[in-house]
Amino acid sequence: MDLRIDLAGEAVALLPERALLWERTGTLVVADVHLGKAAAFRAAAIPMPGGTTSEALRRLSAALERTCARRLLLLGDFFHARSGRASRTLAAIAAWRDRHAGLEILLVRGNHDRGAGDPPDEWRFRCVDEPHLEPPFAFRHHPGEEDGGYVLAGHLHPVVPLAGAGRQSETLPAFLFGERQALLPAFGGFTGGARVRPRAGDRVYVLAGDEVVAIEVG
Amino acid sequence: MRAWFAARNWTPFDFQREVWDAYRAGESGLIHAATGTGKTYAAWMAPILEWMEEHPEKIGKRTAAPPLRVLWITPLRALAADTEASLRAPLRELGVPWTLERRTGDTSSTVRNRQRERLPTALVTTPESVSLLLSRPDARELLGGLRMVVVDEWHELMGGKRGVQTELALARLRRWNPDLRTWGLSATLGNLDTALAALLGGRAGRLVRGAGPKPIRVDAVLPESMERFPWAGHLGLKLLPQVVAAIEEGRSALVFTNTRSQAEIWYQAILDAHPGWAGEIALHHGSLDRKVRDWVEDGLRQGGLRCVVCTSSLDLGVDFAPVDRVLQIGSPKGIARLAQRAGRSGHQPGAESRVTCVPTHAFELIEVAAARTALESGRIEPRAPRRKPLDVLAQHLVTVALGGGFRSAGLLDEVRSTWAYHDLTDAEWDWVLDFVTRGGPALRAYPEYRRVAEKDGLHVVPDAAVARRHRMSIGTITSDAEVQVQYKGGARLGTVEESFVARLRPGDRFVLAGRLLELDSVRDMTAWVRKAKGKSGAIPRWMGGRMPLSTELGAAVRDRLEEARRGVFDSPEMDAVRPILELQARWSEIPEAGDLLIERLRSREGHHLFLYPFEGRLVHEGLAALFAWRISRLRPITFTFAVNDYGIELLSPDPAPLDEALAAGLLSPAGLVDDIPASLNAVEMAKRRFREIARVAGLLFQGFPGSRKPARHLQASSGLFYEVFAQYDPDNLLLRQAHREVLEQQLESSRLGRALARLAESRVRIVGVARPSPLAFPLMVDRMREKLSSEKLADRVRRMQAQLEKAALTPRPPLPSPGEGEKETRRRRKA
Repeated sequence: MDLRIDLAGEAVALLPERALLWERTGTLVVADVHLGKAAAFRAAAIPMPGGTTSEALRRLSAALERTCARRLLLLGDFFHARSGRASRTLAAIAAWRDRHAGLEILLVRGNHDRGAGDPPDEWRFRCVDEPHLEPPFAFRHHPGEEDGGYVLAGHLHPVVPLAGAGRQSETLPAFLFGERQALLPAFGGFTGGARVRPRAGDRVYVLAGDEVVAIEVG
Repeated sequence: MRAWFAARNWTPFDFQREVWDAYRAGESGLIHAATGTGKTYAAWMAPILEWMEEHPEKIGKRTAAPPLRVLWITPLRALAADTEASLRAPLRELGVPWTLERRTGDTSSTVRNRQRERLPTALVTTPESVSLLLSRPDARELLGGLRMVVVDEWHELMGGKRGVQTELALARLRRWNPDLRTWGLSATLGNLDTALAALLGGRAGRLVRGAGPKPIRVDAVLPESMERFPWAGHLGLKLLPQVVAAIEEGRSALVFTNTRSQAEIWYQAILDAHPGWAGEIALHHGSLDRKVRDWVEDGLRQGGLRCVVCTSSLDLGVDFAPVDRVLQIGSPKGIARLAQRAGRSGHQPGAESRVTCVPTHAFELIEVAAARTALESGRIEPRAPRRKPLDVLAQHLVTVALGGGFRSAGLLDEVRSTWAYHDLTDAEWDWVLDFVTRGGPALRAYPEYRRVAEKDGLHVVPDAAVARRHRMSIGTITSDAEVQVQYKGGARLGTVEESFVARLRPGDRFVLAGRLLELDSVRDMTAWVRKAKGKSGAIPRWMGGRMPLSTELGAAVRDRLEEARRGVFDSPEMDAVRPILELQARWSEIPEAGDLLIERLRSREGHHLFLYPFEGRLVHEGLAALFAWRISRLRPITFTFAVNDYGIELLSPDPAPLDEALAAGLLSPAGLVDDIPASLNAVEMAKRRFREIARVAGLLFQGFPGSRKPARHLQASSGLFYEVFAQYDPDNLLLRQAHREVLEQQLESSRLGRALARLAESRVRIVGVARPSPLAFPLMVDRMREKLSSEKLADRVRRMQAQLEKAALTPRPPLPSPGEGEKETRRRRKA
């Protein structure tokens, strides 16, 4: 179930697929896909089972088709590592690209992309360095503030610790919205996370199964 | 030969002669005796006498040293130096021209390089270093002339995966040297036959009983008043004055603590209480730099130290003769452990071994009384050797592939000749072989994956990088990434865990090696520090701190309580704890042996159920998960639970349907076969267990020491591995091993079944209490909690809150700044 919120005067939807939809422009924003991470492990003789890349692509397709997004905006770390650009992984992504041939794709390069290199030309990704400004938003990989707009960033793979009655606790991937910038959860399933505690005034939404849940901060 | 001995005033003990004769007759075996009773020479003289008989003409001559004949395996590299010293003495005395060297993780590269050319006649080493030797391409030539392997402190090794690593190495060595004789040295155990069988892979061998133990006296420091003595906790600083007085009485005291943090705290406290002792008291634990520890051990040997605060780091090894007083802070948690520590004192002729326990909370007084009676009646814990750990086998296969390669059928026979793998099935073997070659069934489709490759039936490691990484990570002890602590431009102090350093910022203060330090910076896996002024700093915590109460001690505690209920208080400790037990009886009750006491309590936190099976913490973890699981089947509910050695607390926001659950068979052994795995899946025990397995099997890689750039893109947490495996390769046998280890090692499933059978027969007494009873209180304040829920995640999360960043304490920009990120945390859970 999507959760719609207002952000810098724009309507956006938070998707349980770990993506954000900028409704007016039909743009799906995702951060930190880290494709080919398992392949990079395998290349170093660490036995990772297959399936993480196709799961990520499947989830991405589902979000694109469900929202009829016209454009995909990647907030960096699309590829995990150069050694992860295995032929199988590349073939799977190429097939996925064919399936969404009409989709416009913009990649704001992240630190991993610099090591792994840009996607092949025939996939027709537009690759830019941060920040990428589209008022009222500024898109970045690394968190940080911009004069040019409200920042949407990735990089951290934020997870938020929660506490409840009976000494319950849970730590879940989250969207965090501060006064001037927001953090998006990592899209990739095989990514891990960094614990982030929100600050007073932040809006926090966690991913709980097939739902996005607004969390009270305090 | 005997005459020769007599001339030097040596009188061998009968048990030593028995070993020498048996060795000469080609036998292997196990020698068990208390420390300091001549076990070492019983084993060591056997191959020396053999050589002297073979080469009488070379005795006392300067001839070339014979090639490697004896391998002496010791569990701790810290022991290797002392062992080497005591082995060297008779070589000199007898004029035996053998070379004797050490090879451990501490050995310098110069010595290593020399040993690459030629090994000494006798080598003192550790299981990990033996595996490293086995990984050398010329392993067979190097080790092919061995006559004897001695495994020192086998009781210490056999219960763990390093024991299995040793078994596998022994199997390999036996195959190369069919006449190899293996002798183990062990302290007294409850199951010596099994210890012998595990050492020899089930072959026949001789059990030799050494000199009997010295008498042991167990007493306790008693609080002056129970009114102010805590009901929970683990520091025990309340009794500091009595401890200082006890140290003052003796000449040289060892103060044992159960964790390294506790040792740091006690060291500081004793020094603060008696500043005049500066320079006379010292600290010793496994995370201190080798040089610091060597200094302390030398001081103990020479009698120059009044007191050393230590952990199990000084449990083993040669004796420090001047030590005349041993104190144990907190419960020893096991009878064998208490006896071992007591045995570190009283080496003066005719002296008894004495250990004085220092309870950290009221109920530990009962444990002291219980330990004494158990010791008097000779109830010593058995140690169960591990069964079929596939992670260790996977590691061994890569080791052997490096060490000249292997053929499947031949190595399978060899592996099955060990105790640990004697019943390894063909399917399990095939799986492990497939795992190290192709990565397992889930990786069939990925030809680029390659760890061990098969060429004409021979399995080898073709990739130099894989080989290097494997050699770096040989070893089966779990350890977190460790960070060196070093003065800026000065000496090394020791290590702390990376996770501890990660929480510190430059300028923060912490304590290590008894010194207050200020963090300057963290670079290249080193925390650079300078001396700090002031009183307090954070105390590092290290993993693997808490020992569970042993089965035997748990049973002995139940006996003491049973007597207390009948009004029998027949020891100083039970007398002292009497007021607390009477309070327990007033506010709730002391359970009879045939009772299961359940207390219900409503508090601000929610609804508490306290159950007291007195079966020890490990069994309680399993029972808690089982009970929570069974109740949660009745209706959607969320539990968090805590356990200790006496009982279980189940806490829920809503009242648990206890009566309904009891009627539906909460305590019934029926359905256990299905319910236990189901309840385990619902909690995270297996996931935590997977941490060690992932490391041993070569999944986790922490980077090469000294390499400036850690292999960042190859780092992932074991929790993440667990999730990916669970989702994409659920039949992975390493996952199943994690479950099996939880069942067998952690929960002791057979004991769990017996416990439940007993509880099912017991009379359930449910008592509503208005406030936490003395038994309940320690559980209530325990923050280590498992969770089990039958509610939908989103529904549960909706009622939760995110805690605010404490802005005042840790100033930083709104939302984290660049460069802080990409930490893989163990805490992340699947959405």
